[in-house]
Amino acid sequence: MAESSDPIELELFKNAIFSIADEMALTVFRTTYSGVLKDNMDYSTGFADANGKLAAQGLTLPGHLGSVPTAMDAIMRHFKDNMAPGDVFIMNDPFDGGMHLPDIFVFKPLYHAGERLAFACTVCHHIDVGGRVAGSNASDSTEIYAEGLRIAPMKLYEAGKLNKTIMTFIEKNVRLPVQLFGDLRAQLAACHIGETQFAEIVARYGPEKTRFYLKEVIDYAERLTRAALEKLPDGEWSFEDWIDDDGVDYGKPIRLFVTIRKTGGHMMVDWTGTNPQVKGAINNTLSFTKAASYTGVRSVLPPGIPNNEGVFRAIEVICPPGTVGNGVLPAACAARGLTGFRMVDCMFGALAMMLPDKVKAAGDGGNTGISIGGYDAGRKPFVYVDFTCGAWGARPWADGLDGNSHMFANMASHSIEVTEAEQPMQLLAYEFVADRAGAGKFRGGVPFRRDYKFLEDEGMLQVRSDRRDHRPFGLYGGSPGAPSENYMDPDGENRLLPSKLTMTIKKGEVFRHVLAGAGGWGDPLERDPAAVLRDVRNELLSPQKALADYGVVVDTPAWTIDAAATARRRDEIRRARGWTETPKVQWHEPELLRRAAE
Amino acid sequence: MAVTYRAGVDIGGTFTDIVLLGSDGTVHTKKISSSVGNYAQAIVDGLSEVFGETGLSGAAIDEIRHGTTVASNAILEHKGARVGLITTKGFRDVLEIRTLRMPKLYDIGWTKPEPLVERYLRKVVDERIDHRGHVERALDPADAGRAVDALLAEKVEAIAVCLLNSFANPVHEAMLKEIIVAKAPHLPRSLSFEVLPEIKEYERTSTTVINAYVMPIVATYLRALRKGLDAGGIPARLLLMQSNGGLTTDGAAAERPMNIIESGPAGGVVGAQALARTKDLDKIITFDMGGTTAKASMVEHGEVARAQEYAVGAGIMIGSRLLTGAGYTLKVPAIDLAEVGAGGGSHVWIDGGGALQAGPESAGASPGPVCYDQGGTEPTITDANVLLGYINPGHLVGGALKLNADKARAVFAEKIAKPLGMPIERAAYGAHLIVASNMIRAIKAVSTERGRDPRDFALFAFGGNGPLFAAGMAASLGINRVVVPPSAGLFSSFGLLYADVEHHYARTFRRLLRRADLGEIAAAWDALARQASDQLAAEGFTGERARLRRSAALHYKGQSYELTVPVPPGAIDTRMATHLEQAFAEEHERTYGHRAGPDEPVELVSIQLVGSGLREGSGVPQSVAPSRRDSVVQTSRQAYFGDPHGWLETPVLSRADLAGGHAGPLIVEEYDSTCVVPPGAHAERDDGGNIVISIG
Repeated sequence: MAESSDPIELELFKNAIFSIADEMALTVFRTTYSGVLKDNMDYSTGFADANGKLAAQGLTLPGHLGSVPTAMDAIMRHFKDNMAPGDVFIMNDPFDGGMHLPDIFVFKPLYHAGERLAFACTVCHHIDVGGRVAGSNASDSTEIYAEGLRIAPMKLYEAGKLNKTIMTFIEKNVRLPVQLFGDLRAQLAACHIGETQFAEIVARYGPEKTRFYLKEVIDYAERLTRAALEKLPDGEWSFEDWIDDDGVDYGKPIRLFVTIRKTGGHMMVDWTGTNPQVKGAINNTLSFTKAASYTGVRSVLPPGIPNNEGVFRAIEVICPPGTVGNGVLPAACAARGLTGFRMVDCMFGALAMMLPDKVKAAGDGGNTGISIGGYDAGRKPFVYVDFTCGAWGARPWADGLDGNSHMFANMASHSIEVTEAEQPMQLLAYEFVADRAGAGKFRGGVPFRRDYKFLEDEGMLQVRSDRRDHRPFGLYGGSPGAPSENYMDPDGENRLLPSKLTMTIKKGEVFRHVLAGAGGWGDPLERDPAAVLRDVRNELLSPQKALADYGVVVDTPAWTIDAAATARRRDEIRRARGWTETPKVQWHEPELLRRAAE
Repeated sequence: MAVTYRAGVDIGGTFTDIVLLGSDGTVHTKKISSSVGNYAQAIVDGLSEVFGETGLSGAAIDEIRHGTTVASNAILEHKGARVGLITTKGFRDVLEIRTLRMPKLYDIGWTKPEPLVERYLRKVVDERIDHRGHVERALDPADAGRAVDALLAEKVEAIAVCLLNSFANPVHEAMLKEIIVAKAPHLPRSLSFEVLPEIKEYERTSTTVINAYVMPIVATYLRALRKGLDAGGIPARLLLMQSNGGLTTDGAAAERPMNIIESGPAGGVVGAQALARTKDLDKIITFDMGGTTAKASMVEHGEVARAQEYAVGAGIMIGSRLLTGAGYTLKVPAIDLAEVGAGGGSHVWIDGGGALQAGPESAGASPGPVCYDQGGTEPTITDANVLLGYINPGHLVGGALKLNADKARAVFAEKIAKPLGMPIERAAYGAHLIVASNMIRAIKAVSTERGRDPRDFALFAFGGNGPLFAAGMAASLGINRVVVPPSAGLFSSFGLLYADVEHHYARTFRRLLRRADLGEIAAAWDALARQASDQLAAEGFTGERARLRRSAALHYKGQSYELTVPVPPGAIDTRMATHLEQAFAEEHERTYGHRAGPDEPVELVSIQLVGSGLREGSGVPQSVAPSRRDSVVQTSRQAYFGDPHGWLETPVLSRADLAGGHAGPLIVEEYDSTCVVPPGAHAERDDGGNIVISIG
């Protein structure tokens, strides 16, 4: 008998299946060893149906939405008829279903009476998987072979029996096996919880209905997505943005180019025109490009759409192979996070052309990755990995957020005190920097700086940052933000370093990273002078900058605004700049001149 | 011997409930409106009215136990003090940067909560202490004085101090304290080394600031209440409910108001805990459902499960345990409550994908459900319950509120049943099941997420709507026993009467158990014990009535999340260290399903101690005798119970009628709640006046 969908049973089933996915996510969260995994929420959990189609993904990392289907496809390709109860699959190869090497997938097929009904899925970013640089995050590797251990889709457990050979290979090729195995145990624990609870669902609904509603939950997400897309205007919009360079070919900008085509309940996101793949390790897999595309589109759709295959059916993503958005062997991809974040911002640019009142300007560009690794006096390895970001682009109705994770990651900062207790590191500063947010009717988010003092004898410092030459753009009259900066010895020599670097760091040396300021939205001369005054009083904006950018005259001892002088000054600025119409997108000017010259 | 009374006073959103419990088991209750400017006066007036009705006098009351939202409201409404914050140079923005995380994915409209101290009121001092407590850069008293002066010049109403690594060495904070005391002796101050000597600068800063932020408002409130009680001839001592479920004195609450922020919902849980002890129920899950939210918590072996930190004003959302970043972080122990936006007022609606939904939007008290006939236009859960025959349209609040069932039916038909193409009772029953499944997520959050199987627990249901849903939810969770206490709708104030005085202490102490100097750890614990004993003695609890319990937060070295295990009495020696390692590994396995190998080092993260002041006797009467009698005329009506039962003629009884036991289906109608016992279940009234339902 063919099942028919019951709207009540559908909701009850969906509630049950997503609560298991969330519970699996909590299990990882609580049992993990690594701060990266926990604080960056750099992991995902979920369920796929018997054919490997994603039915439910736990609420953790937007960057992983799209990762499970590709990985599941690889598992199905390799093992379709060679699966049995008690099997557990492991993999991380970017060219065989993975994303980048630190992301290890663990899948467990779930059976009822000998018949496969679903898969429990987990993917976690591990702190180190070997390779030439601690943390396995180097942005200057030029081929995958330098980046660490590649794990092809394999059975970690076969019919419940652990394959010790795989574990031994891993153990001998990573820097911190105890941590890696701890986190692998967290993934296995999550699969175990998923399996137990899924069995309860099957007991309640029976295998037929379970199979039916796993499919129905996917169809339901598709219906929701299409209904939401229907409400957006039809048409085609493009946007272009640039990554400064790949950290290998310094100074050679990398083009991102996206076209979105919206027709009824369907959206095409087309990255044709994006730069060919590069030597540096910032090449995306297609799965990651998809995640970036979904993130952009989902930010303008209503909340409450389940994360699964149904969403992917309504939002189609293409990107030609051999580009930075879809690298092919031997592309290095460890630091591809950078490209993913910037693709999200590029999506915002295109969506802002489609929906001028709904989308934000560019933020700081997403995570800066900083890692310091080496060996202590007793030759024990240490690996410190810090990802940080925090300035949101201004929105058409409000300032950009100050100190808030990029939407693609939703990471948390690691406690400074815990870092100091566990790592050969002292933090000397973690605070906002004035005068670096893009001006606008609504200003961009204020960036912060972090100063790291290194305490071990010697280590290798790796930095992956960007938005130095190509600053975060402003929208509809808003100014671009200030560039990101790296310095060695900020209170002494204060030597400016490139945006991407690998160098030796010695005891007592201080490295400073300043995030890029975010872009503004709308004409700065329309900003409420009281908001300008507030920023001046809070020392996020100097009185000089208030005058130059906003035309606001602030009396600092009295904390008042000279209204008449402000009106005069704003008039002068307005005449001098001579806008005939409000510029839709504002870039940093020298960069425009340079590009025009090319 | 003359009968003495304990009074429980619980301020809720709309009503303040007053319950008086006599030493002979007599109970008097009173509801007064919360919508007054002066809560303190309202309480005194309410008590006076009870005296007028009962002939009691103020002298008959020996204790007033109070759950208050005055502190949480100050935070939610941003009406706390103008606070100045002093912190380490380079770290001025720890409070505002928070953890970077936001609670909603893909939300381009997210607004971060405003920091409770604006940036220009955050001053820095040039000092540095390393994580071991070594002073790297000494604080210059002149520099410290300048920071304090700058804040005083800004006319702050309280000062908070939180320096980096002060948990390891408080010397600089202590210096700042002296300077503040010298310059402004009466200014409220909150120092992180006193308030929360624990690692993690953001959590400590936020907690220290929240404490300062509500200090003046709580102190003023408590003074006014004391004065009002004195003037009203009520000399009884005043105890406040804390977020952790223990009581504290008004003096201690004024000093550390951070402990009473989630005072409100704690009463019901503690009441359930006390009743469970008397009934020898080792494991219960409490379930409290009202008009807009439902809350669940777990009590195991007589102990309430606690969270070590939570966010004030974070709102309610499913998945919130994963997605943090809303509200204001407070790192004080609190009853671990999982809350969902599910109540009688929850809207029932059909989403864009054609699935039926319930909540989290709510019709609230105004306009309320459609059947209230006060302008509500969206179908709600209460409307569904009326249609299903569970709620008597003529009986709610003892008949004071007449419901319009026809209106509810019309709205459900038009907005739900017709679009879904199903009979109206199926649609209503579906809404009932869906809201129940949302609440089941809350119950799973406190049980299965901790590795506990809900089937091992009894469900303890209260709140206006709890008893209506409990039996059905228990059935789908595999729970076979439900307990509904007397006056279930007023149980939060009852619970206040059963609580003990409790003070929680903790200190960060990161040491590998196998390598630690155990003498040093023992000394630190002894210091906490002295602090607790002194506090309890000052409140009149000594000897056997002062009970100290130690616990330890532990993890495998490298993990960033701790589990807390109890520390049995005895010396802190190597045997104890081994015991703790084992207890931790067992708890880890129980909670997460696995443990590491025996060689994996276990790290002590913080030492904890709870000091309890115990009453003489259990404090819980054998049975309670409410002065208000429910007068239900035995009758019956049609109620719908889904497939395969459909509509059944269902007896409507009073609690008293259950004495000899009665098979479902049946409905127990009471003044403050309605209890539904589905077919297949069996209900009886026990000696304590509780309804005990056995499922299938």
